[in-house]
Amino acid sequence: MTQTTQGNGHLGPDQLSAFIDGELSSSEAEEIQQHLADCHPCALRVLTATQLKAATARAAQRFAAPPELLARLTAQLRPQESKKTARIFSFRSVAWAAVAAALVLAASLIGWRQTRQASTLSAELLDQHLAALSSGASPEVISTDRHTVKPWFQGKLPFSFNLPDVLPAETTLKGGDLAYLNGQPAALLLFTIHKHEVSVFLIQRSASPMVTVLSGTQSGFAIRHAMTNELRIIAVSDVNPADLDLLISALVEAQTPR
Amino acid sequence: MSSPFHSASFEQLALPLLPSLYSHAFWLSRNQADAEDLVQEAISKALRAFDSFQADTNFKAWIFRILRNTFLTSRTGIAASRTVFLEDRPDLPDTIDANPTPEEHLIRLDNQAAINRALDDLHPHLREVLLLCDVEELKYKDIALVLDVPLGTVMSRISRARRTLHQQLKQQLGESL
Repeated sequence: MTQTTQGNGHLGPDQLSAFIDGELSSSEAEEIQQHLADCHPCALRVLTATQLKAATARAAQRFAAPPELLARLTAQLRPQESKKTARIFSFRSVAWAAVAAALVLAASLIGWRQTRQASTLSAELLDQHLAALSSGASPEVISTDRHTVKPWFQGKLPFSFNLPDVLPAETTLKGGDLAYLNGQPAALLLFTIHKHEVSVFLIQRSASPMVTVLSGTQSGFAIRHAMTNELRIIAVSDVNPADLDLLISALVEAQTPR
Repeated sequence: MSSPFHSASFEQLALPLLPSLYSHAFWLSRNQADAEDLVQEAISKALRAFDSFQADTNFKAWIFRILRNTFLTSRTGIAASRTVFLEDRPDLPDTIDANPTPEEHLIRLDNQAAINRALDDLHPHLREVLLLCDVEELKYKDIALVLDVPLGTVMSRISRARRTLHQQLKQQLGESL
């Protein structure tokens, strides 16, 4: 694999590197070990090269990935899991959700220190919506029946909510999932309106005193926001904003005690 | 798709590598925003191409290769490719002194700032191969796959990178004395 020792009997530079990187065959390595036992200069060079290798590894690890990036990529990768292996809610996905939640929480704490809270949250909403859309990822609970979707959240969230008896025309419930938004647990409801995908996040109002979401558009997606006594409801979709408003109204209406 | 390796999902394989991918992307692009874009794009490409991943090969090498190719076609990558790198530049002695003194060989490796500087000054081609070896701990054959060069080139570049680093550190040490 490498040139043998140099004419003067010492290790060549390529051979020295291959030796400390563990790239030599056992017989080649053994030959070198024997040489090192008798040759002080070569032993010294191997020692220095080993130390330099370790120092390089230490020095090169100085760039840590920003938590926001890790949170975004984790969210991007997580729905892929449910598609590829088609599992039901397993412990591992809970673990990854916890990791993602911790990262999103860390990201949101950092976000708080900055003044661009609203835009950070809008970006996060959009990321989560896109993650839900990505390549046919399926939600944890798949059902068009509100009597199946709503109970699924019981015990998983520190609040409850109602689903409308009747949805606006051309609007279908597809399923639900747990999400973390701005560091808080959220119910993510997935709808379609005229074949456009809609993500609706429901979070507890009392737990989110400071961040304001402005209704508007981001990257071509409409974001609509409404409050009830208990809940904050945020919807993201590329559907016509007027249709999104109808769905938001129906959801707000359903939370009103009758 | 029936291979046992594919039962491991893309997520399981890729998630633990995110910090490494970012760090390597930063070394390639030398810029946080570009590094973030590179990792994001490489992950998306790898996800789309995952079905073509050969189960008996090294996933880390495969995804690092995608990251590198993404960098090469990026704006910073195209700019960086204009730097000339001569594979066999005889700028370093290939033979060694038969009787070096300890002072000549034992450089001050506890000086982290000096090592950082030497690593920064290294030619990108040499730094890249050294990072894949010393930081990412890839085998030479996997590095050859990432860089798309022959095994012998990997070996000579690693050896040259270390000699250059060593010389720079000795020089810095000499200047500080």
